[in-house]
Amino acid sequence: MQAKKIINRLAELPTMPSTIGTMEWNQTGDWRYLTPVAADKTAPCRRNCPAGIPIPVYLEAVNRGDVQTALALLLAYNPLPGLTGRLCYHPCQTDCTRKKVDGPIPIREIERFLSELSLEEKNNPFEMRDKQVTIIGSGPLGLSCAFFLGCLGLRVTVLEANSRAGGVLLDLSKQKIEGAILENEIKRLIRIAHIRLVTDAVVDLKGYGNLPKSDLTLLDPTGGLEASVPAGEGGIFDPFADEEIPGYLIAVTLPENLKNFKASLIAHYIAAGRQTAEKVFGHLVGSPEQGKGEPGPEIFLKGEALESPQNADPSTARSPVGKGTEAEGAGRRKGILFEASRCLYCGTCDLCQQCISSCPEACVRMNTHKSGVSVDLDFCKGCGLCAYECPRGVITMEEAES
Amino acid sequence: MKKVAMGTEAAALAATLARVQVVSAYPITPQTVIVENLAEIIGRGDLEAKYMPVESEHTAMASCIGAALAGARAFTATSSQGLAYMHEMLHYAAGARVPVVMVNCNRAMAPPWNLYCDHTDSLAQRDTGWVQYYCANAQDVLDSILIAYAVAEEALLPIMINMDAFYLTHTSEIIDIPDQKAVDDFLPPYRPLNKLDVKDPKTFGNVCGADLYSSIKFKRHSDTLALERLWDQTAVRFAGKFDRTHSSVESYQTEDADIFIVAIGTATEAIRLAVDRLRDEGLKAGGLRLAMVRPFPMDGFKRAAVRAKQVIVIDRDISLGAEGIIAQEVKSVLFDRREEVNLTGFVAGIGGNDLSVETIVTLVHQAVSGTGEAVRAGSTLWAEVLS
Repeated sequence: MQAKKIINRLAELPTMPSTIGTMEWNQTGDWRYLTPVAADKTAPCRRNCPAGIPIPVYLEAVNRGDVQTALALLLAYNPLPGLTGRLCYHPCQTDCTRKKVDGPIPIREIERFLSELSLEEKNNPFEMRDKQVTIIGSGPLGLSCAFFLGCLGLRVTVLEANSRAGGVLLDLSKQKIEGAILENEIKRLIRIAHIRLVTDAVVDLKGYGNLPKSDLTLLDPTGGLEASVPAGEGGIFDPFADEEIPGYLIAVTLPENLKNFKASLIAHYIAAGRQTAEKVFGHLVGSPEQGKGEPGPEIFLKGEALESPQNADPSTARSPVGKGTEAEGAGRRKGILFEASRCLYCGTCDLCQQCISSCPEACVRMNTHKSGVSVDLDFCKGCGLCAYECPRGVITMEEAES
Repeated sequence: MKKVAMGTEAAALAATLARVQVVSAYPITPQTVIVENLAEIIGRGDLEAKYMPVESEHTAMASCIGAALAGARAFTATSSQGLAYMHEMLHYAAGARVPVVMVNCNRAMAPPWNLYCDHTDSLAQRDTGWVQYYCANAQDVLDSILIAYAVAEEALLPIMINMDAFYLTHTSEIIDIPDQKAVDDFLPPYRPLNKLDVKDPKTFGNVCGADLYSSIKFKRHSDTLALERLWDQTAVRFAGKFDRTHSSVESYQTEDADIFIVAIGTATEAIRLAVDRLRDEGLKAGGLRLAMVRPFPMDGFKRAAVRAKQVIVIDRDISLGAEGIIAQEVKSVLFDRREEVNLTGFVAGIGGNDLSVETIVTLVHQAVSGTGEAVRAGSTLWAEVLS
């Protein structure tokens, strides 16, 4: 910096008024009303998903061309992607940030595409627990619960009075879901989680002793079975409200809006199944902290599959199930990969630095670890440009801080 | 090279010949042709410049100021409401001493909504510190923009080149387009000594206390006053190269005149013809065109009007509640000769009315005889008003 110059005469005055001084003395931070908060956030797609699927995480794998990992990541939250990919009202797409640019990512379409791939599973993946659970009814809630308990290493038996599994799903018209697709989805779920499915089962709750020997038996409200728990044997359990499991024979109940099965709300039933499974696991084995935690993709895949170059190349990914020529399949795969590549990965900072370049006070800076940005609140006026410019919604303006 | 072109096309050609580096503008009738032409010229690759289609005139001027502070030759154009929207930034440009050149197409201020000629839009910006030049014809538009860059970059002051809506913006005339090489000789690239430079950090537009504020303003006032002379000298240099004169004050038949008809803009062309007609009638009339309004060309005007006894000012503008703005200006400069001069101020030719030779002759007759159709309000006589 140049030395301070004192101007004594008019002739010394430069034509263009400028100064070598700074404005650092003027700490404009106290003008601020809203404060920018830069922190990782949940992406709007995941936030809106009833099943809480970490969508940007699997889209990232699709974008890499690693569709096997993507499918495993998806299955870890949603064991019936072929159904949600067709039936769900896809709130994941409602607030997609990409809408501001062109259009939302067709997440439902991608989910359906992934569901049609065949998964290469581990042979003996789970740490088995010495606990048995019987689920009466094979509707979406019961199957989902069975899946998550199976993946957590419990021995699960599903009893179905009908000759086919599916419960209320079997009542859906062919226009909504084709029988073959439903069958394939259930088959995969049963296979991955090592579930024992008994169809044409004779279920008599009054003669409780006839049921398979279990540590816990639960009634699936989506199983299509009119049954209630006999007095004194157990109780009613709401997976969204109740924490305690009320006995060894429980009837799962649902909030009013879910009591009559609606196909478009399929993800809510999957979420209810998962909630039930986690609480049952906590009851029988211990809290999730003591257990293995939530299931990840590693439990479904052979170790090498995650890194396999064969899987990283989309052109060699396995053919989707269904009709259509090979060329059509390749075209669809290309389209899906393109759509996944449009994901902005909302909620995580990728150091694009748009906030830094848009700050009129130059007070948004890279943090010391170069892992994100920080705001110099001594100077931030709270104008909100950084939050407006942030393409991933990492920066939000909040009425915070005293 | 001769070409038939509208005033707006002449303006775009001038900016191209001046090799402007940044064009930032928002379209408004009747200026639109200028920026459309420039966008096309830049798009074709005939001019190496950044074209910024901004969201408002305020931003157009702000970005021109930024570009000029970064050392670029910047150009913009606007009109009427757009110019009014720039107001804050006009002060900034002059205070920051950036040599931005802007074309303003003089259009009436709304409401009532009117797209036609009226000088109140730019005259209302009189005190922003901008130099104001009012063109008489399309050749004047082209040439004055080139002269303006040379003057602005030497004085470090912004210049507004004004042209009458439709009478000039959308009227086709034969213009002589100078050679690019000759223009390059006349107007070298802009190389400011003081500009935004990361290697030499400084702040522009910083806070200034009472200790220097008066001095800075005084210096700007002095530099602006001196610009009359600088313009005329530069115009002489331009004339030496291109053989066309564009001085700050232009006289027609004033050597022996008793009646001086004073105006700005395209009407001054009609005034010349009116002077001829009046002289045929035996009236010793002369025309006096104020090409420059800021700085007011004090020396040139006083010299030209030294023997004026009767002064008639035709204003295409009005300072409501006072009188025509040019009439006020002329009165103040003639103050020391107030005993011997008689001044009549007319407001005429606004909102689409033509200031034809006939109209001008009629107004002069009213000024001389004291009777006519123009209606008096305060000290101003209004033409084209319902009786």
